[in-house]
Amino acid sequence: MRVLGRRLSLYVVTAWVAITVNFLLPHLMPGNPVQNLIGKVTGQITPQQVRSIELLFGVGLHQGLWSQYVGYWHQLFLGNLGVSITLSTPVSSVLASAVPWTVGLIGVSTILSFILGTFAGALLGWFRGSRLDSVIPVATFFQAAPYFFLGTVVLLLFGSDLHWFPVLGAYSQSVTPGWHWDFVFSLLRYGELPVITIVLSSVAGWMLGMRNMMITMIAEDFVLMAVAKGLPRRKVIAHAARNAVLPSVANLSLAIGLVVSGALLVELVFNYPGVGNLLLQAVLNEDYPLIQGIFLVITMTVLAANLLADVLYFILDPRTRTEAAV
Amino acid sequence: MDSATTNLTVDELNDTVLEIEDFCVDYGWGETAVRAVNNVNLSVRRSRVLGVAGESGSGKSTLVYAVTRLLRSPGVISGGSARLTYDDPTASDVKRRTVDLMAASGSELRAIRWSQVSIVLQSALNALNPVLRIGHEFDELLKTHRKDLKKEQRHARAVELLGLVGLNEDRLSRFPHELSGGQRQRIMIALALALDPQLVIMDEPTTALDVVTQREIVNELAQLRARFGFSMIFITHDLSLLVELADDIAVMYSGNVVEWAPAGDLYSAPRHPYTLGLLNSSPPLSGERHELVGIAGAPPDLSQPLSGCSFHNRCPFVLERCSRDVPPLRILDSSGRKAACWLHDDPTTVPVALRRVALATSPGEPAPGAPMTLAREEIR
Repeated sequence: MRVLGRRLSLYVVTAWVAITVNFLLPHLMPGNPVQNLIGKVTGQITPQQVRSIELLFGVGLHQGLWSQYVGYWHQLFLGNLGVSITLSTPVSSVLASAVPWTVGLIGVSTILSFILGTFAGALLGWFRGSRLDSVIPVATFFQAAPYFFLGTVVLLLFGSDLHWFPVLGAYSQSVTPGWHWDFVFSLLRYGELPVITIVLSSVAGWMLGMRNMMITMIAEDFVLMAVAKGLPRRKVIAHAARNAVLPSVANLSLAIGLVVSGALLVELVFNYPGVGNLLLQAVLNEDYPLIQGIFLVITMTVLAANLLADVLYFILDPRTRTEAAV
Repeated sequence: MDSATTNLTVDELNDTVLEIEDFCVDYGWGETAVRAVNNVNLSVRRSRVLGVAGESGSGKSTLVYAVTRLLRSPGVISGGSARLTYDDPTASDVKRRTVDLMAASGSELRAIRWSQVSIVLQSALNALNPVLRIGHEFDELLKTHRKDLKKEQRHARAVELLGLVGLNEDRLSRFPHELSGGQRQRIMIALALALDPQLVIMDEPTTALDVVTQREIVNELAQLRARFGFSMIFITHDLSLLVELADDIAVMYSGNVVEWAPAGDLYSAPRHPYTLGLLNSSPPLSGERHELVGIAGAPPDLSQPLSGCSFHNRCPFVLERCSRDVPPLRILDSSGRKAACWLHDDPTTVPVALRRVALATSPGEPAPGAPMTLAREEIR
């Protein structure tokens, strides 16, 4: 447990550094960005927005950097990330409406891709050299194609032309969002195409990684022992796969970290109302409070994903539980 | 351990657990194939120990993996047969069954594996799955082969087995990397005995251990064998170790069995020049120390065609015909011992070193160091 505790404190420090940098960056901007921004706002500007901008850049306030920093932390704990300039709504509520879409779409796709790829990879590794190997070039082809391109092709072909899948958006305009069957069904239907695109374009990585590790593991003595023990083939493969999956788990943490920021292009192609789309809008409009909020969420997600992967690795590989000698 | 080589009845001699006939193993296919095991005939008698000795690459491990059908690609069994005779505890009428291992189906093999033939590998660290607790290894094994046992019974059996090799039951909750090399190898031995197999194959089980642990494990093995009476194939390059454990010893060189004899006879009076060389290159168990002499040269490259005896270019007593004709493995005398060497064709060509009279010693108590010293003088 001490090992895990040490990792945890490392994450706390990392999070603190990330948040501090996130606070400092706007303060380091030259010139008077506040006037620039206020000039950009179309329509009515509320005093709230002006205050938000001033807080962000630390201008027009008669406060030292330190007290601003303390104030920033205070607001952060209250869940107050400022007000979006272009949308005139609090950043936290903008994020709250976008994050679930992205986490849902990319999260589900990543996990699905990982599970599919790992299982396929385990079998491909075990039955290497058989006809199953012909799956590899096909999967690699989809991986090689940029996924926004793949997404566009899939969208045009199966969505617009063949009408097999609904296109554009996260759910049908004719249903009202809420926890009822119609909405969930519509959600799943609209999610199919983007999920398929992401899985298709990322599954080969998991598959090849797992396959190669399987081939390495098959040469190990403990796999020979599993055969010698008269275990059924399913269990022998499980012995090898249990060890082969470890590097994939480490990679999964990195992939999960990208879930929030990740599939910007996929969200654009499928017009999905997620963080990727939001970030693009925020950058185009120079909506700094929003950008800052998104960065904060992304950073925290990456850290959380890494922590999760560490815990998972800790559970899966007993060797990592031993304290380092030094 | 008592002497196993004296006064065997015909029945006992014919009561074999494993019968290997004309066994050949190649690595690779077609023209690039390399013969790793060449026409080997061996048998393992019930409740006896067959020692297989030879240097690295002599085919000793390949032989046992092929016989148990565990050989991995590119190893190919290119000929011969292997039959396992075992007492089937589940059969109602005929208790003793013989299985042709080469013809056995996947499910037949799975049923025999570990319950009748278990294996201990050289490196227990690699043989135990690094991410599983020791208890899981026992549990999985018993769950697969003894479906009648309940969870608590499986645990009790695992504790009992660990007790046999002198380990505490708290080891069950450990992972392999948390144990010492000796403990891991003891666990492998406990696992090997878990299902009361007829035959336990030990593939250099002590090579990776220090000499003190090696000694402890060999002693434990001897005790366990005396208690449970399983047959054993013990593979090693250490002949002096084999003499203590084995009843019979087969010496392999470049894929061939070059000498077969009761352990004591082979140790005190070798008949093949290679066996003599092996003995001279390891320290004697007791008696006067002598200078160790290696065998000059290196084993032949198996991928190159070789005429005559495979040992001829390293043999100190080489005859003219040795490079021309392949010597067959033949019975030399009434004791039944065999050697594949042309020197014994003509009594006048047998060097003094290969003519010694076998001392009537039991394994474990070899004759004083004299023979070894003698052999060295004779070579010069």
